[in-house]
Amino acid sequence: MNFALLRNSLRMRLLAGTLVWIVISILVAGWGLGQLFHQHVEAQFDAELKNHLDQLTAQLILDEQNQAKVRLLPSDPRLNKPLSGLYWQIDRIPAADEQPVKAVLRSRSLWDETLTVPADTPADGEIHQHRIVGPQGVALRVVERTVTIDTHSLRLMVAANESLMTEPIEDFKGHLWMALGILGMGLTLAALMQVFVGLAPLRSMQNALGRVRHGDARNMEGTFPNEIMPLVNEFNTVLAQNAEVVERARTQAGNLAHALKTPLSVLANAPEKRDDDLARLVASQVDAVRKQVDYHLSRAQAAASVQVPGIRTAVEPVIHGLVRVMQRVHADRQLEFVVHPDQANLAFRGEEQDLQEMLGNLIDNASKWARSRIEIQVSDGSGRLRVSIDDDGKGIAVAERDHVIKRGVRADEQVPGTGLGLAITADLARMYGGDLVLAKSYLGGLQASLILPAV
Amino acid sequence: MRILVVEDEPTLATQLVEGIQSVGYVVDVAHNGVDGHFMGETEPYDAIVLDIGLPQMDGITVLKKWRAAGRTLPVLILTARDTWREKVAGIDAGADDYLTKPFHMEELLARLRALIRRAGGQASTELVCGPLTLDTRSSRASVDGTALTLTSHEYRVLAYLMHHPGEIVSRAELTEHIYAQDFDRDSNTVEVFIARLRKKLPPGLIETVRGLGYRLNKAQ
Repeated sequence: MNFALLRNSLRMRLLAGTLVWIVISILVAGWGLGQLFHQHVEAQFDAELKNHLDQLTAQLILDEQNQAKVRLLPSDPRLNKPLSGLYWQIDRIPAADEQPVKAVLRSRSLWDETLTVPADTPADGEIHQHRIVGPQGVALRVVERTVTIDTHSLRLMVAANESLMTEPIEDFKGHLWMALGILGMGLTLAALMQVFVGLAPLRSMQNALGRVRHGDARNMEGTFPNEIMPLVNEFNTVLAQNAEVVERARTQAGNLAHALKTPLSVLANAPEKRDDDLARLVASQVDAVRKQVDYHLSRAQAAASVQVPGIRTAVEPVIHGLVRVMQRVHADRQLEFVVHPDQANLAFRGEEQDLQEMLGNLIDNASKWARSRIEIQVSDGSGRLRVSIDDDGKGIAVAERDHVIKRGVRADEQVPGTGLGLAITADLARMYGGDLVLAKSYLGGLQASLILPAV
Repeated sequence: MRILVVEDEPTLATQLVEGIQSVGYVVDVAHNGVDGHFMGETEPYDAIVLDIGLPQMDGITVLKKWRAAGRTLPVLILTARDTWREKVAGIDAGADDYLTKPFHMEELLARLRALIRRAGGQASTELVCGPLTLDTRSSRASVDGTALTLTSHEYRVLAYLMHHPGEIVSRAELTEHIYAQDFDRDSNTVEVFIARLRKKLPPGLIETVRGLGYRLNKAQ
C-alpha cells in the first residue's frame, strides 16, 4: 500500500487503524486461549496419570518372598491392550550394592517393552514427572513415585502417550484459529462498512459541491450529519455573501449609471435649439460620456459575475424575451424571427443579465440590418453552447469583421462603442472564456455565433 | 394629438414638454408614478412617454396597471439603465418602444410619431386623404402640394381627424385631444376651428354628422 495514499485518505487511515487493532487483538486472544487450554488439558492429563498411579500404589503389596505384587490390577482397559498408549511399570530399587531390577511388574499393554526413566530417585511420597521415549519411539509422559515397604523400595510409574494430550490441543487450536479467523473477517467487514457508511456524507457533500460548481445549484443542498453540517452552513453563507456582494456592486453600478444619465439627458437636450460650437461640443461630450459609462458599466458587471459560482441561465427564455422586444420595437418592419427549438434545454454558466446583454446586442444588430428574416439557433458542443444569429441583411465584409470585434479588446486605449454593440459582446464572451465569431450567413447577411460555457 | 409625459426630473420634463409641443402635440405632465397612473387611466391620451425610474410608483408597475385595466394606447418608456434586462422587462410589461437616456429629442419625437401612426394603422409618415397631405415629421399640411397656413389648434384638429380617417369623431373627443388637462375647455371653440379649417380646405372634406360629430371624407 502506498504510504502517501494511506496518509491522505481518511478512509485508509480509519481502515488501517481498525485493521491493526483487529489483527493484534485476534493474535493475542488466539495465543492466550491456546495457552489456557493447553495448561488445562495438561493439568487434567497429569491428574489422570496421578490417579492411575494412586490406584496402583494402593493395590501394591509384598508377598511372602518379598516380591512386589498388585492385588487388583487397574481397571482401565487400555492397560490390557498391547501398545495402547497407557502403561504402568514397577521397578525395584536395590540396595546400594545391587543392580536395579527393571520391570518387576508391568501392564499388559507394555507387552515385552520396558520404560526407562531417568535415574533420579524421588524421595518417599514424592512424585516426579518426565518425558521419555517409549515403545516404538513414541514420546511418553510419565509420573513416578517411590514406595518403600519395610526395607524394599519400589519405583512405580504410569505413562501415557503424549499425543493423547497434544492431539486434542492441536485440534482445539485448529478450531480456535478458524473461529478467530472468521471473527476477524467479520470485524474487518464491519470496519469497512462503518468507514464507507460513516464517510458517505462526505461523498454526498462532494456531490453537492460539484452541483454548485457546475451551476446546477446556488448553494449546497441536503441534510448532513451534525459533524459536517456546520461546514456546509459556513460554505453556504460564504456563497450567499459572495452573491450578495456582486449583487450590491451591480446595483450600485446601475444606480450610478441611473444617476448620471438623467442629467446627461438634460445636458444633451439643452442646446437642442442652438447651432453653434458650444452646442456641438456639449453634444459630442455627452455622447462620449454616455459611451464610456455604458462600456465600463457592462465590463464591471461582467467581471463581477464571472467569478460567482453556481449560476445557471437557461438560454431559450432569454432569446424569446429579446425576440419579443425586437418584434415590438420593429413592429412596422414586418421582420420574421425564427427561433429554432432547443431540444437539449441548454443553459449558460453565467449571469442571465450578461447573456441578455450579449444576445441582445447581437439580435438587435441583426434586426437593424436584416431585410426580412432572422434565424436563431442554439446548439451544443462538448461543454460549450453556441448561439447562431443569422440575418438576410447586407452582412459585413470579411476585412471589416475582425476590426469590428477587436475594437473593444483594449478598452483603455480605444474609444469604446462601435454603434454595433459587437465589441462589448465579444469582450463579455471572452471574459466567460467564450468567443464571438462572425461569418457569412446562409441567409445572405451576417452570421454572428456566440460560443459560451454551458452547464 | 394629446400626449402624457411622466418624468420626475423637472428640467428633463420641461424639455420633453417643449420638444413635444414644438411638433404640434398637446402635452400633460405628471411628476410621479401615482399621478401619472391616474392621469393615464382617466384621460384619453394618444400616446404616453413614461420614465421607468419614478418616485412613489415605478414606471413598470404603472404600465402594468394600465395594461391590466385594458388601456391599449402606445407607451414609449425612457430607461436610464441601458441593459437588455430592463428593456425586456419594459416590453413584457406592455411598452411599445423604449428609449435609453441620454437621448436626442429628435429621436424621441420620431419614435413617438411612429407609435401614434402605428396605433392608427398608418404605415407612412405622410398621411394622405384625397388631395390633403399631412407630414407628421414637419407638422405641415398641404392641399395638392400647396402648403396650408394653420394655427396650432387648427393643426391639432386636422391631425386628429387625419389619424382617424372615415371615422366619426365627436366634438367632445376632439376637445379632449386638442387641449391639455388644465386648459379651460369650451367645446364651442371646436366648431370655430372646424369652420376655419373648412375655409382653408377643399369643400366637402370635413363632413358634419348631425348629432354625432365630424368625419373626414375619405372618398374625396
